[in-house]
Amino acid sequence: MIVGGQSLVTSPPVFSHDGKKLLVCTGCTVSVFSTTTGMLITELEGHTERVTSIVVVPVAGTVGTKFSDYCWTASLDGMIFYWDFSTPDLLKKVNVQLPVHSFVIPNILSASLGRSDKASQNLYAFISVEDANKGVENGKHLHGSIQIYDLTNSTRAGGVLAETHKPETLAISKSGEFVGIKKQKQLNIWRVPNKNLKSVNMKKLKLHHTRTLSCLAFHPTKCIVAAGDVSGRILIWRGFGKMRHSQDGGGKMKIDMGDRPGVRGEDDADSCSTWHWHSSEIKFLMFSSDEAYLFSGAKEGVIVVWQLDTGNKTYKPNIGSPLMYFTDSPDPSLSCVSCEDNQIHLLRMPSMDIIKSISGIKPPLILSELQGDRSRVTIGCDRSIGFVALPTKDYRIQFFSLLDGTDISHLQVIERNYDPVDETTVFISLVEVSDDGSMMSTVEEKLPEMGIGGLISLKFWIRGSHTGQYTLSTIIYEPHNNAGVSDMAFCPGRSMAVSTSYCGNFKVWVNNSSFIHSGDDIQEKGGWRCQSVSSYKEIPMTAAAFSGDGSVLAVAAETKITLWDPLNNVLVAIIGDSLGPIRQLAFVGSSEYIMSFSSGTKADLVVWNISNLSTHWSYKLLVEDICCTRSETRVAVLALLSSSDKSISTGKDGMVLVFDVENPIPVSTWFVKKAKGGRLSFINNKLGEATDGKLLLAYINGEHNYVLFDPSNVKEQEDLIPKSARRPQSYAHDENVSHGYASIYGELPSFDLTKARSSDSIPFVSSERPWETIFSGSSHALPPLSKLCSPFLESLLEKAEKQTVLSQ
Amino acid sequence: MMADEATRRVFPTEPASHLRPRSRSVKSLVSTPESSFWRTFRSSTLHPSYLHLPITSLSFSPNSSLLAAASSTSVRVFSSLSLSEYDPDFDPTLFATLPLPDLAYSPSFRCDGALIAAGCENGAVRVFDLPNDKPPKTLRRLNAHSCASRVVGFPLLDHKLRLFSAGDDALFVQWDLPTETPLFSVPGAHRDYIRAGSPSPVSPDVFVTGSYDHTVKIWDARVDSGASSVLSINHGHPVESVLFLPSGGLVATAGGNTIKIWDVIAGGKPVYSVETHNKTVTALTLAKVRDDTRLLSVSIDGYLKSFDFSRFKITHSMRYPAPLLSVAFSPTGTIRVVGTNNGAMYMGIKKKKDEFEDQVGSDDFAWSVPLPEKPTSRKNIRYFKRGQSEKPSEGDFIIKRPEKVKLKEHDRLLRKFLHKDALVSVLKTQQTTSIMAVLEELVARRKLIKCISNLDNDELKLLLSFISKKATQPWCARFLMDLAKWVLEIRAEDIRSGGPEMAVHVRNLRSMVAHEIQVQRSLQEIQGMISPLLVIAGK
Repeated sequence: MIVGGQSLVTSPPVFSHDGKKLLVCTGCTVSVFSTTTGMLITELEGHTERVTSIVVVPVAGTVGTKFSDYCWTASLDGMIFYWDFSTPDLLKKVNVQLPVHSFVIPNILSASLGRSDKASQNLYAFISVEDANKGVENGKHLHGSIQIYDLTNSTRAGGVLAETHKPETLAISKSGEFVGIKKQKQLNIWRVPNKNLKSVNMKKLKLHHTRTLSCLAFHPTKCIVAAGDVSGRILIWRGFGKMRHSQDGGGKMKIDMGDRPGVRGEDDADSCSTWHWHSSEIKFLMFSSDEAYLFSGAKEGVIVVWQLDTGNKTYKPNIGSPLMYFTDSPDPSLSCVSCEDNQIHLLRMPSMDIIKSISGIKPPLILSELQGDRSRVTIGCDRSIGFVALPTKDYRIQFFSLLDGTDISHLQVIERNYDPVDETTVFISLVEVSDDGSMMSTVEEKLPEMGIGGLISLKFWIRGSHTGQYTLSTIIYEPHNNAGVSDMAFCPGRSMAVSTSYCGNFKVWVNNSSFIHSGDDIQEKGGWRCQSVSSYKEIPMTAAAFSGDGSVLAVAAETKITLWDPLNNVLVAIIGDSLGPIRQLAFVGSSEYIMSFSSGTKADLVVWNISNLSTHWSYKLLVEDICCTRSETRVAVLALLSSSDKSISTGKDGMVLVFDVENPIPVSTWFVKKAKGGRLSFINNKLGEATDGKLLLAYINGEHNYVLFDPSNVKEQEDLIPKSARRPQSYAHDENVSHGYASIYGELPSFDLTKARSSDSIPFVSSERPWETIFSGSSHALPPLSKLCSPFLESLLEKAEKQTVLSQ
Repeated sequence: MMADEATRRVFPTEPASHLRPRSRSVKSLVSTPESSFWRTFRSSTLHPSYLHLPITSLSFSPNSSLLAAASSTSVRVFSSLSLSEYDPDFDPTLFATLPLPDLAYSPSFRCDGALIAAGCENGAVRVFDLPNDKPPKTLRRLNAHSCASRVVGFPLLDHKLRLFSAGDDALFVQWDLPTETPLFSVPGAHRDYIRAGSPSPVSPDVFVTGSYDHTVKIWDARVDSGASSVLSINHGHPVESVLFLPSGGLVATAGGNTIKIWDVIAGGKPVYSVETHNKTVTALTLAKVRDDTRLLSVSIDGYLKSFDFSRFKITHSMRYPAPLLSVAFSPTGTIRVVGTNNGAMYMGIKKKKDEFEDQVGSDDFAWSVPLPEKPTSRKNIRYFKRGQSEKPSEGDFIIKRPEKVKLKEHDRLLRKFLHKDALVSVLKTQQTTSIMAVLEELVARRKLIKCISNLDNDELKLLLSFISKKATQPWCARFLMDLAKWVLEIRAEDIRSGGPEMAVHVRNLRSMVAHEIQVQRSLQEIQGMISPLLVIAGK
């Protein structure tokens, strides 16, 4: 079972203390990427829910910890884990019991876990948790709360610091002196005392604003805090907390209302200035490490660099997607920015050039204002190589390999400048890849403004020399006059395609170069031409499919299925009514069955027999996608559960059913989450030595997370997106750029990560004889010297003991 | 993973290719080596006589020094040497005028260029000598033809005492010049006028003639077989011109609007047929293009076409403003002359060496020591410009500077989100495709309606005039009709109070709509007439 497609941008990524590694929250795991190559090094697995935040333990300055790579991670499953992410080893588990949305450890420098000197103080964390049981309090839903937690003793330290409507993200200053959150229209800031950290000792400082705040950042050294609001303004409070935080427990100091420009009410700050450039909610604020600049970003996809003293600004445009987070690394020349399109760009710092990009699967295209069924944006799927073609917001197609879990290439489909601020008026509505992947067609739509303009064009692409490289062959403007294209299908084994339209006709397209032999005048011009146009009673055509040998074309005319001879354009037969308008058709292998499903109020799934033109069996199911194998009689169906079903409460809203077409009783069933907008596809199994023609079933859910599995092996009723998600990462060959070690000594043999994991699955510290297992991992993931040294010496000691015993 | 993300391309609004009417003459824009060769000719016009009489025949002397043109009752001989020199005033000196008793036909130079022969409407064939300093003198009068002697020719080979002629009386004669007697005479060689003839390039005794009876016949003077020819080929049209190709084994014939190539050795097998002219092909000649030979053909349709008979491909065509009757190409390959039916001669003189020949030349003279380059001092502008025009040699690895995207005014304004300004600036350019592209971009940005409502009166006039001109163009009609409706709806007040100029635009718009409705109605009538026919044809 292969799981992938997690979002890289659910939470801000974190750099390791030397800036060589980047820790990214990917679903239930934390992925560690190399910043020099952009490749995945390892994954930290253990959480059972989404990981929300990571804190890397900085170098304490002593020689012994020079090679250590330790981090804390918190997850929605209520656990905080302590990891050595170079090995990777889980060192400590702390159970908070409430879903942790964010946490920071202010005194992480002074206190570190597992040191011998117990004199040092306990490790405290500020955690932002969600407490759903809190319920209604004074008519407000206060679900989030900020608490202090003692990580050393795994106990809660004191009460609740603050309560918020929803769990907020904690911000911390670099020195660990201040911790803050945004709370509606105000900032709450606490100064962290050096000793005796208790919630009663904490002083809360409030700074007010007139609009809802969206993010905040602390200056590394000075008492400056910056906050962004939903309207795009940036507020800078200078010299905050001088009065209240400085005096201990005394009475309120007199506030001089005179020379405090911009500060509201009795807020404790020297001055407050406002900068405004962004037009929408500020997504991140970050002070530069040299303390002179402030970075800000929002939906425009432009990083704005503000000079802190003057407010002058410079821009880094052309990132091409709404921005999410900005993280700087201990290395001053490196930082990274996370984009909404599931990409993390590593930036070379002063110039802000993109040096590497870590890209995941693109998020689904959301078309808000379009009506129902017509707005279905499909994704293409190449069965032979196992990649999907996903239309993206910036008018491209991303080719993503499901087997490797990597981004293959991007293809610019519409030649138009993408501006993240614009609403979507031009988009790719349909992508269809032929079965062997040699041809692809895309349909793009320009929506009209008040009935003016609007254009639908169909493009045919031909594969180039590499996978995922396509070149434009033909553009057809307005393939069905003004009407939209409802479906496309390629004829297997022939360069022929069919497009159906809502205006009631379908067109068969052929690639002209295939006609050289039939005509006496040789046409040198290639390209796709319309061979024939047909219609059935002017009924809107909604779906099309070719049979496995390409001899029969089935086109759905709303509720009827019409069968055509595609070469001669002759109507062969009509198969009678389904309940609703058919959304998709599929021939079942080489058998005599054809499958269809319709949506809407009268949704159904029907298997028709072509030989006697009748219904074989049918279900009243709301189906999202169907998929058939080319050779066998197995079919997979993705069905949506209606809201009355029980499983909804567990978050599972769909199920995958595998049928043998002869039999209406499903062979196996799995319940899945987020099935709306999902897709199914059978993919040839290429991985490993299992090339015995076994097909993998790929299920891509509505958020483009996917799972690949062999339907005959995986147990029924099992969760299809398991909690402990794991990607087998072919580390050595997922990138063809050889560098460093590989460029000198050649590529490392691909190692089996599962093996390595199983051998050192026993936590390192709990093992009694660690020297026996310490070298059993793979060579590139050797434990650090600091860790090796003591066990090695211990092993010597043990030997000596034995000898002494013997001698006695 | 994609590190090129930083270098995102900038797309101008322009490539609205669905808007552009599909052009069919894409090929003519493509520059081939052949077209660059023909472009090196400097063209000029010449009127040998001020009467607008057709120039029926043109001929170059074998050493290219003289050009003879038959027009009206005389053959005019021009010194082509003076033609070939570039002369800004271009006054070609008339070398001589050969007097003939009636309309002159078919001047022909002897292989050494010393004698010239010409036919005449009354049948006489005259031979002149061409001394350099004295006026020409009639040397021989050959009288055998009873009608116009249209074809006169010296053999191409070094056979200085022979001449052949043929004419409208269907008589074919080979003459012995010194004695003025026919050596080989075929009365009734064809069943119609003989209008074309050519000597073989490989044998002095072999000739080809073409006639209006559609046949082409090959004669061998060594075989006296009476009236029967060695070979007879049916061209299919009245033959206007025949020509042996340089090998002597192929014959090109022109008649009707086709040119055909025949294999003579294989017994008159058709090799290829060219049908590129629209009207009758009148003359053929051979031309030296660089190292190759091309067949030039001229036609009544005013086109000169260059045909590569080794690849059977038309390689170039040129258009002249008048029907063409004759063509000649100098053996040195530097002068091209065509004669028209209105007395004008169009010449092309090679003005510069083309690059291709330069390369060959430099190879030939590789041994010569190149002149030492002048050392450039810092005072010289060349010092600062040195190396800028350096061309990369073949093995060099070229690193290109990233091309700067040149944005037009409206693109620049669109990038600044100044939508109305962009619309106005593009409307001022009056380029329909650009305007349509900007309009579509505005639609995609959901800004068009706002733009229209923000236009001031002068700008509204611009938009209205554009709409009233273009709204019925089929490729932008759907867009512009809707747009016109909206403009009238939104800006009704301003149009009403906009003064007379606005009223003119609206009136234009109305008349255009009325016209379009009429067109649509008549189209529907036609459709109504055709569709029953199609239904019947379908059954």
